[in-house]
Amino acid sequence: MAATFSIGIDLGTTNSVLAAIPLGVEGASIEVLSVPQLTAPATVEGRPLLPSFLYLGTPEEVAQDAFRLPWGSPSAAVGEWARRQGAEVPTRTVSGAKSWLTHSRVDRRQPILPWNAPAEVTKISPVEASRRYLEHLLSAWAQSHPEAPIQEQQVVLTVPASFDAVARELTREAALQAGLPENFILLEEPQAAFYAWLANPTQSWRKLVREGDVVAICDVGGGTTDLTLISVAQENGELVLQRVAVGNHILVGGDNMDLALAQLAQARFAEKGVALDAWQSVALWHACRAAKETLLAPDGPSTCPVTVLGRGRRLIGGSISVDLTREEVVSVLTEGFFPPGSLQARPVRRPQSGFKELGLPYESDPAVTRHLSHFLNQQSGVRPTRVLFNGGVFKSEFFRRRVLEAVAGWYGATPESLELPHNQDFDLAVARGAAYYGRAKLEKGIRIRGGAPRSYYVGIEATGLAIPGIVRPLRHLCVVPRDMEEGTELDIPSDTIGLLTGEQAEFRFFSSLTRRDAPGTIVTHATEDEIQETSPLVATLPAAAGGETDFVPVRFQVRLTELGVLELWCVSTVSEDRWKLEFSVRDEG
Amino acid sequence: MRLFQAFRVFFRVLSDGEFAARVARAESPEVSTRPTPAAAPVPVTAPVKPASRRSEALTLLAVFQREGRLVDFLQEPIESYTDAQIGAAVREVHKGCRQVLERLFAPAPAVPTAEGAPLKVEQGYDPGRIRLTGQVSGTAPWQGTVAHPGWEAKRCDLPEWTGTPAAERVIAPAEIEIR
Repeated sequence: MAATFSIGIDLGTTNSVLAAIPLGVEGASIEVLSVPQLTAPATVEGRPLLPSFLYLGTPEEVAQDAFRLPWGSPSAAVGEWARRQGAEVPTRTVSGAKSWLTHSRVDRRQPILPWNAPAEVTKISPVEASRRYLEHLLSAWAQSHPEAPIQEQQVVLTVPASFDAVARELTREAALQAGLPENFILLEEPQAAFYAWLANPTQSWRKLVREGDVVAICDVGGGTTDLTLISVAQENGELVLQRVAVGNHILVGGDNMDLALAQLAQARFAEKGVALDAWQSVALWHACRAAKETLLAPDGPSTCPVTVLGRGRRLIGGSISVDLTREEVVSVLTEGFFPPGSLQARPVRRPQSGFKELGLPYESDPAVTRHLSHFLNQQSGVRPTRVLFNGGVFKSEFFRRRVLEAVAGWYGATPESLELPHNQDFDLAVARGAAYYGRAKLEKGIRIRGGAPRSYYVGIEATGLAIPGIVRPLRHLCVVPRDMEEGTELDIPSDTIGLLTGEQAEFRFFSSLTRRDAPGTIVTHATEDEIQETSPLVATLPAAAGGETDFVPVRFQVRLTELGVLELWCVSTVSEDRWKLEFSVRDEG
Repeated sequence: MRLFQAFRVFFRVLSDGEFAARVARAESPEVSTRPTPAAAPVPVTAPVKPASRRSEALTLLAVFQREGRLVDFLQEPIESYTDAQIGAAVREVHKGCRQVLERLFAPAPAVPTAEGAPLKVEQGYDPGRIRLTGQVSGTAPWQGTVAHPGWEAKRCDLPEWTGTPAAERVIAPAEIEIR
């Protein structure tokens, strides 16, 4: 059966969204699904955003079927109630599962979340958490559109541009387990945000950008920052779009800003001799977010009270309040997150203690502008001429202005000339853009040329005499060139590599966001800044039949599918055999 | 009034199996105690039916308490507090309750005319939407001034409650902090 909808799914770090557009209907608009979810115990309400949190209840809650939804009774709660529980019962709530997917120091298929949960809580893996969020969205879709089973639809799932091949593969794994069709497409989030902008019917994008423009997409959500550059060129009189660079995965977002303000307010309370307990601190965090929005609004007041209501029934009697001024809020947020600086400024790395906890690798420098300058400075010869914003943080004009002023300062432009006009909902744009892209792919709309966002390398140990205490130098063989196009295949020219049959072969695997090496290039000297190690690759070769030699000579072959999936193969040079390399995400200890 | 009753019956039939059976009995031409012939088995594709229901008024009250602390606020004796203390708390209560109101009901004026502006009330006006005050004499049309443009809920999206009968009257569960 032919697909009747193009469905875009934004599996976000803090919120997930599903949007859909009917296929073959002229002038159809993109609709965002209202997702039934628990907003409180035993209370089901439909919301466009499904918070990506999962609450694992007590045995009593499970026994009483407290997580019942219109389509069944899952064993844990996903959504708004789980998000609230995350603040009040952190040891039983899974949060930030998506960021854990990129964390190569842990085994992402093992039940490790909630991180630091007590022993009696049945933990789940980051992959399973992602699967459950998707299952919830798919159940909501099935309930509202029983006539359009998901397996038959055109589905586009978004991932951060900064996700490496392993994180993409794990996302894909979770998606297939959740019931997405085999041929679903992975799309990078900043591109999806750009498609949402292109899809806007009230403005013609062809009038807003022109040949030679480079658009910097700056996406700052609740917990992550994602950066991408897209260039506009002309071919046969038509404008074509090409993604030219993506930034690193940066764990800084709006939540950090609210916490910084909460600390400011907490210090003010401490001056008054008021100590806040854990519950009040959470309430303060929310109150500070509201105060930030009030103070930073155009024509906002110069001071705003931050009030934490009494915990118990004495609401007024137990209330405590301090004032925050616009001036100090602006100063804390500007200095901490959007400091002006030169294009050469780099994120500050603080020395880390030897016994670093193995939690999420949060950034030690929260300055978004420094991450941005570092990213732009790495793109030699490419400078942004326009900026497109996405992510909840940029709902505030104040933050958009800070970024525009910084970029304008670096390139001698005016902030006004940089910002692309938009009127989209920053929380929903990625899902909407993904749905639009799914339709454009089927019905021949405008498309951004993407390709591999990174180049990839296989580590090969140099041969030589073993010297005690000396590690043999590692050389990097480029197997995937950056910008390799989707739907293409490459044989990697190299010396043959001997693989032992009947055993598991393991390769160290590396990636780079900045290097542009040709396939087959061997890199001998690279700094850790340029090339980073990701999870190892393994291939198990069945023992060769009939007493042949134990070593099979192979070369590498690489495919980047139309769906955005990277496949690496070992191809025998003496027979027709080939073996697919799989990512090994097991715990390295 | 009958229309409202019809809607009420309609929704209750949808949500309450026992009630639906009673309606079916009332509807059948010969109201008798004769057992109705067994209906063909219904395929079990219908969504899971909630085990119990409660008054939507309680569910709404629970939302206002949870997000705006409304019950705490109304139940607290306020005589001994200063206006400043009350004011600080009310801002928070107002913010939370207003978000609930906007989300669940999206209130909008009942007539599109601004407060204080003149409005002509035509013959056959809807008394459910427009209420006449002051010197109402003669017959329509009347010329008047909008003293209050009224409110109309643009939607009514109450959450669905799926709890157990034992907790039916609980507006807000007790919170016990485990240390």
